[in-house]
Amino acid sequence: MTHAVPGRPRVGAIARKAGGHLVRGLVMIWVVATISFVIIREIPGNPVLGQYESLIQKGMSPEQAERATAVLYGFLPTGNLWEQYVGYMGSLLHLDLGRSLSTPGVEVTTLIGHAARWTVLPVLAGTLLSFLLGVTMGVYAAIKRSGKLGDMLALSGSLLHGVPVYVIGLLMTAIFATLWPIMPSGGPVDVEFVPGFNAGYIGSLIHHAVLPVVTYTLASYGGWILAMKSNVVAVLGDDFILAAELRGLKRGFVFRYLARNAILPLFTILALSIGMLFGGSIFIEQIFNYPGLGLLLVDSISSRDYALMGGTFLVITVGIVVANIVADLLYTVIDPRVRSGGAA
Amino acid sequence: MTAHTAAHDTAAPETPAAAPGVRIRDLTVVYKTPAGELPAVRGVDLTLAPGTITGVVGESGSGKSTLALSLLNAVQPPGRIAAGSVEIDGLGDVLTLRGEDLRRARGRQVGYVFQAAQNSLNPLKTIGKQLLDLGRSHDVDDLRALVRDAKDLLARMGMDGARVLDSYQHELSGGMRQRVGIMLALVLNAKVVVLDEPTTALDMITQATILRIIREVHEERALTTLVITHDVGAVAEVADSLAVMYGGRVVEHGPVTEVLGDARHPYTQGLIRAIPRLTGDLSLARALPGRPPTLGTLPGRGCVFRERCERRMEVCETDEPMAVNRDGRTVACHAADRHLSLVKRKEFV
Repeated sequence: MTHAVPGRPRVGAIARKAGGHLVRGLVMIWVVATISFVIIREIPGNPVLGQYESLIQKGMSPEQAERATAVLYGFLPTGNLWEQYVGYMGSLLHLDLGRSLSTPGVEVTTLIGHAARWTVLPVLAGTLLSFLLGVTMGVYAAIKRSGKLGDMLALSGSLLHGVPVYVIGLLMTAIFATLWPIMPSGGPVDVEFVPGFNAGYIGSLIHHAVLPVVTYTLASYGGWILAMKSNVVAVLGDDFILAAELRGLKRGFVFRYLARNAILPLFTILALSIGMLFGGSIFIEQIFNYPGLGLLLVDSISSRDYALMGGTFLVITVGIVVANIVADLLYTVIDPRVRSGGAA
Repeated sequence: MTAHTAAHDTAAPETPAAAPGVRIRDLTVVYKTPAGELPAVRGVDLTLAPGTITGVVGESGSGKSTLALSLLNAVQPPGRIAAGSVEIDGLGDVLTLRGEDLRRARGRQVGYVFQAAQNSLNPLKTIGKQLLDLGRSHDVDDLRALVRDAKDLLARMGMDGARVLDSYQHELSGGMRQRVGIMLALVLNAKVVVLDEPTTALDMITQATILRIIREVHEERALTTLVITHDVGAVAEVADSLAVMYGGRVVEHGPVTEVLGDARHPYTQGLIRAIPRLTGDLSLARALPGRPPTLGTLPGRGCVFRERCERRMEVCETDEPMAVNRDGRTVACHAADRHLSLVKRKEFV
């Protein structure tokens, strides 16, 4: 079977598709960066100009103040819109997001980098864990849907899906950190350990990550189980499943036909939620005092740290755009119908 | 897999064994509804003579697809086979088979072909991979030979086997998918083949091709074939004998030319009158008045067809007509019964 049939996964075609996505993604990012530039500049009270003027009031010369402000925001506080815009884009190209106001002198990229460490792993772990759990339970809930077990599983999904994440988080801290204090109530790690690759530090990291990860898992589990259940039920009604049974296919094969067809649409959602992960989880980070991206965003807003805000937004945008591209390409690889480009 | 249940694989590979006969006896299938369990198929007796093609016609809801699924003991919930037996030569009563025995019989001894428009193929796998899954499920040792057989069958049906095996479902047309379905039903050498509406939703030319293929493959492989359809024309083309179903019963059964040429049951007569002719006046085609019964509106006693019957008698209200076999034809109708006996008497006078 070496025929060149249209519809085989050809590397060239996928690469071409990836290229197209990349261009579109870059355009997206450029648009968002432009919007955030305009917002920061045009926001009531003009923080850029305000900074510039307050520096002058503190006794700086206008030139000094101009330079200091330019360092903060990535563009000159004076001058016309176009010059400022070109300056801002120029520093973006050098991955320079400016400097933080609330933590003076520290580069925004550094702050984001630190926060990302505390976000990416727990949220990633929570996303993947809830995905695996929800999908597995969703299959059971669908297959046993006319029995007690199925009802219970579906109910657990609906309940957890309906309870807001901060309620779950507060319950978790109330139970496992206050009533029955086996878990730390907050913070990412105990301070007594020396950061590095040693058992005490890593153990403490994991210990602190348990509650946030469990909270995140419970909060998103409901969505997965409900989505998977309805997908499996839909595929169960498809003729090819009955046809496979009538051809005497072994249960394992039938199950794989079922699972693969049902899980396919969920991969897009999974890829997107991994992209959203760069937004952090504001409630969870707040409750467990986890210095992640969500908390960073909240802090930057409450302290009117516009450079940091813009940078955080940009990182979230990039995460989502990249996740979209990955989801689309993933689909091209795993779904032959998408691969050959729109057949009946 | 160690199981050598596929002993006949090696024992008698190419001797065209005599086609098996199929005897359906007193088959009753009920569906669970809010109004209790209602029969979709009731007390059906039907014998498929070895090596013949039997057509089953009937309107939607007449129970013909349920009958077809019963041959594989595959009635889907909320349906349930309540009584009866389906004896297949060399296999025994299919309705007593359970678990692995049943699974092995499906595909290996009884092939099932789905309606073309509905998709009977996994959209995410190539036909070839699904063929291999089928082979592995039935412990076929020589998968290369299986692929060769599949290619032969596909070529036999006018397709490029290698190309088809390398394709996904969405890359094939409806007619091609249907032929793939036939290939998958036959590739394990099943001798009993059930085709459920094999030409529905196909265009006329493709329909004709599929029917010709069914007829040819049936003869070449010495099969016993059951074709379910609502298209009397299609059945006339392909079948040896014809069973007409109405309201879950077989109301008439006999050689296809006789049933169509000289229908005895008023329902069959109405069905034939309703077919528009290619020549002549369209208005000559007369629709059968009334609507077919649904599970809920089936009368509890008497003849199921009496509401729409122009030859209704008093006895039809109370007694269900028994299927009477006369000169190789079975009819379940009080009126046809009396009519016949009158004719007979006249002949003797």
